[in-house]
Amino acid sequence: MIFRFPIPLAVAGLGLLFIVERIPAADLPKASREQQYKEQILPILQARCYECHAGSEQESGFRLDTRHRALVGGDSGVAIIPGNPGESEFLRRITSTDESEWMPPEGERLSSSEIALLTDWIAEGASGLPDSIAEQPTHWAFQPISRPTPPPVDSTWPHNAVDSFILDRLRQETIEPSATASRETLVRRLYLDLLGLLPPRERVTTFIRAGDPDAFERLVDELLASPHYGERWGRHWLDLARYADSTGYESDQPRQIWAYRDWVINALNRDLPFSDFVIEQFAGDQIPNATVSQKIATGFHCNAMFDGGVRWEAVIDRVNTTGSIFLGLTLGCAQCHTHKTDPVTQREFYSLFAYFNAGYVRQMDFAGNLVDPPPSPVDKTTELPATTLIMTYSPSTTHLFVRGDPRNHGEQVTSGVPAFLHDLETRDDQPSQRLDLARWIMADDNPLTARVTTNRVWQRFFGLGLVKTENDFGVQTPLPIHSSLLDFLSIYLRGKPTHPIHQWSTKHLHRLIVSSATYRQSSHIRRDLLESDPQNHWWARQNRLRLEAEIIRDIALDAADLLTPKIGGASVYPAQPDGILAGRATPAQWEPSTGEDRLRRGMYTWVWRLTPHPHLPLFDAPDGVTACTRRDRSNVPVQALTLLNDPTFVECSQALGRRVIRTDSASDSDAIQFLFQTCLSRLPSQQEHKLIEQLLNQQRQTLALSESECQLIVGESSLPHISLTEQAAWVVIARSIQNLDEFFTRP
Amino acid sequence: MNRHLHSTRRRFFGTSALSLAPIALNSLFRQQSSAAEIDSLSGPLQARTPHYSARAKSVIFLFQTGGPSQMDLFDPKPALNRRDGEDFPDEFLKKVQFAQIQEKVPQIWGSPYRFSQHGECGAPMSELLPHMATIVDQVSFVHTMKTDDTNHMFAELMMNTGWRQFGRPSIGSWVSYGLGSESQDLPAFLVLGGAPRSKAANYGNGFLPSKYQGTKLRNSGDAILNLSNPAGYTPQRQANSIQTINALNRIRYEENGDDEVAARIASYELAFRMQAAAPELLELNKETPETLRQYGIDDPARPTFARNCLLARRLVERGVRFIQIFNTDWDHHTALATGLPNMCRVTDQPSAALIKDLAQRGLLDDTLVIWGGELGRTPVAQKSMNPNEAVGRDHQINAFTMMFAGGGVKRGSTLGATNDLGCVPITDSWHVYDLQATILHALGLDHKALTYRYQGRDFRLTDVHGNVKHELFA
Repeated sequence: MIFRFPIPLAVAGLGLLFIVERIPAADLPKASREQQYKEQILPILQARCYECHAGSEQESGFRLDTRHRALVGGDSGVAIIPGNPGESEFLRRITSTDESEWMPPEGERLSSSEIALLTDWIAEGASGLPDSIAEQPTHWAFQPISRPTPPPVDSTWPHNAVDSFILDRLRQETIEPSATASRETLVRRLYLDLLGLLPPRERVTTFIRAGDPDAFERLVDELLASPHYGERWGRHWLDLARYADSTGYESDQPRQIWAYRDWVINALNRDLPFSDFVIEQFAGDQIPNATVSQKIATGFHCNAMFDGGVRWEAVIDRVNTTGSIFLGLTLGCAQCHTHKTDPVTQREFYSLFAYFNAGYVRQMDFAGNLVDPPPSPVDKTTELPATTLIMTYSPSTTHLFVRGDPRNHGEQVTSGVPAFLHDLETRDDQPSQRLDLARWIMADDNPLTARVTTNRVWQRFFGLGLVKTENDFGVQTPLPIHSSLLDFLSIYLRGKPTHPIHQWSTKHLHRLIVSSATYRQSSHIRRDLLESDPQNHWWARQNRLRLEAEIIRDIALDAADLLTPKIGGASVYPAQPDGILAGRATPAQWEPSTGEDRLRRGMYTWVWRLTPHPHLPLFDAPDGVTACTRRDRSNVPVQALTLLNDPTFVECSQALGRRVIRTDSASDSDAIQFLFQTCLSRLPSQQEHKLIEQLLNQQRQTLALSESECQLIVGESSLPHISLTEQAAWVVIARSIQNLDEFFTRP
Repeated sequence: MNRHLHSTRRRFFGTSALSLAPIALNSLFRQQSSAAEIDSLSGPLQARTPHYSARAKSVIFLFQTGGPSQMDLFDPKPALNRRDGEDFPDEFLKKVQFAQIQEKVPQIWGSPYRFSQHGECGAPMSELLPHMATIVDQVSFVHTMKTDDTNHMFAELMMNTGWRQFGRPSIGSWVSYGLGSESQDLPAFLVLGGAPRSKAANYGNGFLPSKYQGTKLRNSGDAILNLSNPAGYTPQRQANSIQTINALNRIRYEENGDDEVAARIASYELAFRMQAAAPELLELNKETPETLRQYGIDDPARPTFARNCLLARRLVERGVRFIQIFNTDWDHHTALATGLPNMCRVTDQPSAALIKDLAQRGLLDDTLVIWGGELGRTPVAQKSMNPNEAVGRDHQINAFTMMFAGGGVKRGSTLGATNDLGCVPITDSWHVYDLQATILHALGLDHKALTYRYQGRDFRLTDVHGNVKHELFA
């Protein structure tokens, strides 16, 4: 929807100006001054300025149809300073004698009487301009969050309010929801979504057999209480936080910031209210009597890539990340100039920049002491003391970068927030700081953060958000089909006034969504919806989702019973191919971890931004350059080669093969069932059973011919007293099962 | 489809007992479902139609990282030798941005190398490049290349991704996205050679789906990561395993109807074919001794630029769309007179041999070959901090030389000219965006139409810039 002021075709109004007697406006009451604006000023603006500077037309970011924007001005300066025509860029331009800058650029110049009118009008306070927001038709996402009531639906299908919204819409389309997924599928789905781990065989069995109606809810509560929940959802958050263990750029220096990663895991596990979760990460250092933990949280914005020569780039990244993950807006475009359709002007971009420009990254030890510059190791055997990076405040002046060029400083700007949203509450009349910005982001008046956050949560559970463009809630994003559900969930997340105990409880929102019948639907593609809803916009089914890079390895280790479940601590170095770190400007070490650290969850793998472990980019892990709000789920042949042939996955197949043999199954059938239950959380069909049996017997035959091949396949950890052929055959089978699409796809 | 190796592949699969029984991939529910539809989801690439009729089908980009010294190789400036040792004129000090030179007024440095004219076109060529001198009638030179950043890393990213920061898709990824693959056995975008300064970002997919990322042919170990079967797994065992995996995948596909499973099946089949095709690709001993000699390959197993050039020809034959070879390192800030001849010995013979070889096999017409680096070098000397070390040249971004051949490019042509000191263009510049627009054009892609929507914006390789330089083409 584009708002456009009517532009009079004829400039009849202009004629009037010469016969209307000028009234000294300062003497007039407010109503009369507005009357004067309407009768004398507005016609000039409409006739000579609005074509380029009103509504959606905002040449150089300047518009004259709202008070705020007229006073703030465009990219080239403060346009109108009420009471001070001499300093107003607007007046300078309309009176300029330089053809390259005079306004309007085409047609007759303004007459001296018009200029006199405008000069007086500014001198007397520039009254009458309409206030910004209220007078503009605004974009849905910028509106206050409604408090929708779940629509009444006559059905036993809904489990909770989520389903009322979904079913109501499905009814309009005369579509039935999909059947509930099997219990095997549900327990697997929940484990993968909430923990990123496989359900243990026994847990699958007890869940399937559980007769009580609360079994599902009990399982959800059990998983939400698991310490691995914080790992699973922490990694999602680290995608947004562009977490890595090095600075990036060509130099790509190592740095210690894993304590921040652990803070995220811990905060999610204890269900720190999301508002505190955000405020501590933004400005934990500025909270009165800040704790060490709150300071560690500020590692969030220390994660930005850093190079001393281009410090400003890290500051810009902090602005862009803030826009992308809390406001759902691409602010980066405003770095160079204001764009017509963007709600944030270039000056406002640099007002946000000012918050982070006054932030400096320092190093802190875990007792809370600042310890930079970092102590250098005395010799190679001395371990560096454990530290982490935190954000600190130091006043700093900020200038707008003309056309985004950091070498070309424009006018000075102070910290502040974009005007299209709610006002900022500041403390003590000081220039506002990061803590104020954080509170502004989490304020109830802000409709975007709750919507954007809730939408991303939905996206994690369904593959796509209710708003498909999860990082773009801007004016070009249409009202989503399920805007009411989005608002309902956003209010639910905020938790008041209807749910006062659960203010900003992430777990509470997760519980609601996974308990819904919508979430529990089968993910099978439906023939009847291929034409009408191939993209699943109406949620008449679940989606199948290929698992993330880290999780694919985690579950392979898990199935093989190799995974070290330890949570947190310094990053580790699992095996990787030679040559990955070759030719770096900053030489890097990759001394493979030993002992329990060798087989930790993927989220603990050290990340060199410039040269990451090859599994990570291969399976679409983010590069840590900018905030990643949604991972791609690619499907390329090199992935197949890796899952089939990479030493780590081969080791998993060997261990899984041993695990099968150790179960002491009475028959091949028992063993095949054990493999299916362990890896796929279900029993094989007859057809599947037959295919596995065929491969098994074929392998027994060919392997019997070569003991050396058997030994190579089984690896070094062969079991005594069991034929090598038998062991090797089961490793081949285990490897095949671990390569099934079903194994590394959330059902 | 593969243009030149139908017979080879038929031979390979015909004689191999290891081909997989085909798994029917037609969508179970959508009878009309085409391979392209499955591709559009996430599976391996299929060939796509360009925007308009294409001159080139493949690109070989011989990327000379570090910045070859154009005035010592391609763009002779006698004035430098006449004015050797003079102060660099004031008027140019303002126009030329140095990367490392700290002196207020550096001195002009004449080229230590002799130039002579070659071919019918009479193009000048340095004595350091005797082999490339023999192909001047088949190529075009552009002397007015221009980029935006004096830092190698950012200039590399600029050249390869059109943006001076990390995170944008590389040109090879854009081309794969636009045109898909003609190879059934190999990735569409392959990368060979050393590592540029900004590493994999130079051939990364940025925000494009990762199936468009460049696959690096590795110098040691497996040519493609995890190409070899694990110990104990014979090709037959691998085939049997994948056969079972795909049969099981197909059962699930029949049940859940998710085309992602079909794409997975196709992916495993392609992976298996790659396992056979990639080693075959590397069997350079199948080339004639004469071919190896032309490229200057002594040991076909040793990873060299020469070997990579020959591999590039073999990749073109196999339908690979975009091949990029990184040849490091041309960054001769000091001791240029030692370093430059060394690099020229590495690049000269194979680069010339590649163009001759492609031409001889009738492949040059539809292969665009590009030779050049991310920036050029200064006409003034850069002095080393070490007084015993000889001088070199600093970075220059206003004007440098690139060479083009094939894909409809004019033969024996020189475009663009620089002033007598070789530091500023006196004809139109070719900005990197122009180069990128022109490469895409050669492939039949309109750089303004090749867009990808990301974060609410339609992105393109050339951002909001770029003009196709039609004068490059015959």
